[in-house]
Amino acid sequence: SDEEHTFETADAGSSATYPMQCSALRKNGFVVIKSRPCKIVDMSTSKTGKHGHAKVHLVAIDIFTGKKLEDLSPSTHNMEVPVVKRNEYQLLDIDDGFLSLMNMDGDTKDDVKAPEGELGDSLQTAFDEGKDLMVTIISAMGEEAAISFKEAARTD
Amino acid sequence: STNFEKHFQENVDECTLEQLRDILVNKSGKTVLANRFRALFNLKTVAEEFATKPEEAKKAIEYIAESFVNDKSELLKHEVAYVLGQTKNLDAAPTLRHVMLDQNQEPMVRHEAAEALGALGDKDSLDDLNKAAKEDPHVAVRETCELAINRINWTHGGAKDKENLQQSLYSSIDPAPPLPLEKDATIPELQALLNDPKQPLFQRYRAMFRLRDIGTDEAILALATGFSAESSLFKHEIAYVFGQIGSPAAVPSLIEVLGRKEEAPMVRHEAAEALGAIASPEVVDVLKSYLNDEVDVVRESCIVALDMYDYENSNELEYAPTAN
Repeated sequence: SDEEHTFETADAGSSATYPMQCSALRKNGFVVIKSRPCKIVDMSTSKTGKHGHAKVHLVAIDIFTGKKLEDLSPSTHNMEVPVVKRNEYQLLDIDDGFLSLMNMDGDTKDDVKAPEGELGDSLQTAFDEGKDLMVTIISAMGEEAAISFKEAARTD
Repeated sequence: STNFEKHFQENVDECTLEQLRDILVNKSGKTVLANRFRALFNLKTVAEEFATKPEEAKKAIEYIAESFVNDKSELLKHEVAYVLGQTKNLDAAPTLRHVMLDQNQEPMVRHEAAEALGALGDKDSLDDLNKAAKEDPHVAVRETCELAINRINWTHGGAKDKENLQQSLYSSIDPAPPLPLEKDATIPELQALLNDPKQPLFQRYRAMFRLRDIGTDEAILALATGFSAESSLFKHEIAYVFGQIGSPAAVPSLIEVLGRKEEAPMVRHEAAEALGAIASPEVVDVLKSYLNDEVDVVRESCIVALDMYDYENSNELEYAPTAN
């Protein structure tokens, strides 16, 4: 059946999203609304009628754009939950609007855009000061972004 | 709608218990049926809170039960009995026992009162249930009593605590629990039990609710075979669980059942309300086509079902009464 199929792909860990009963979602968890990966910031459930199912109102923030999105769904329906991964990389360079990154295994990665706004400014400043920086990259549904950075722990 | 109208939109959070009662009993004489149903379900949420707000819950039970006295709508009274059974509030039991045994109440209302006593798990009602199980002239009432007695015995006899049941997606208290997971029954096995007239009705219901909880298209097709059964009560419950599952896969069989000229009103009524709960686009024209049905409970169910369709497809969070 469909259900078994989706479970298999979710277990394989390669899928960008997996289904979850709307009523099982939680505040601060993730959900897909209007094809965007979001973090749930508020959730309210209606009282139930004759057939014993409720509606769930979700308020969520797009994890990449910060835009607020809302959804109203029957509690018994499945919603998609994005697989969200966080990885830390050492910052090697900021070049032409892209970050040059390296992971713990020494593999490099040059396809993540340098963040804009305040985060971008403070990252650039810290990098220009010659600090050794670790950048956290969040990834979901084929999209990636730098969301924070910190000074690398000194080993000496 | 104008701002003036909007100002007078009643919201459940702003409605007092007395306002909800007045909407439910149609005190103004102008309240539309759909809104009376909405008020009923909002009173239910108060009646359930007997542990934290005993006085208000008691009042809510009294107000809900007022409709039994003189109301002309069999559908509304049956829904009132259903709601009382869902409150878990044993204050509702004496009224329900009275209604179940009152031959001036319609069979559908007596049936629902019996089911409600089973839902409450009220041991003190066993004598009256046994009496009605033998003496009620209507088979649907007698069958319901049999189920209710079984459910009460299952609840209090120790079986409930031993069994491993799948947690239901729905907040309803059902006439029978699903078959326990340790039975590990396949869909064909469940379908065979569902349709076996030699099995006790309670067991067939347990197969029904297990299939509901499986909820796949295959399970829905298995459940739909139950519409060929002889028992009206049994068929009406199939329609009810279809309304719970909410899947468009159940729509064709529900449309067929609603259209059966010789079918019992309680079955056609439940099919109509299930279509409203599924609320897929194709149900609107079907439900509208029965708004002049000669059977009262079918016609009224279509009104309520179309309102449920509106609610399900609206941006309203709550199924709360409105001003119109």
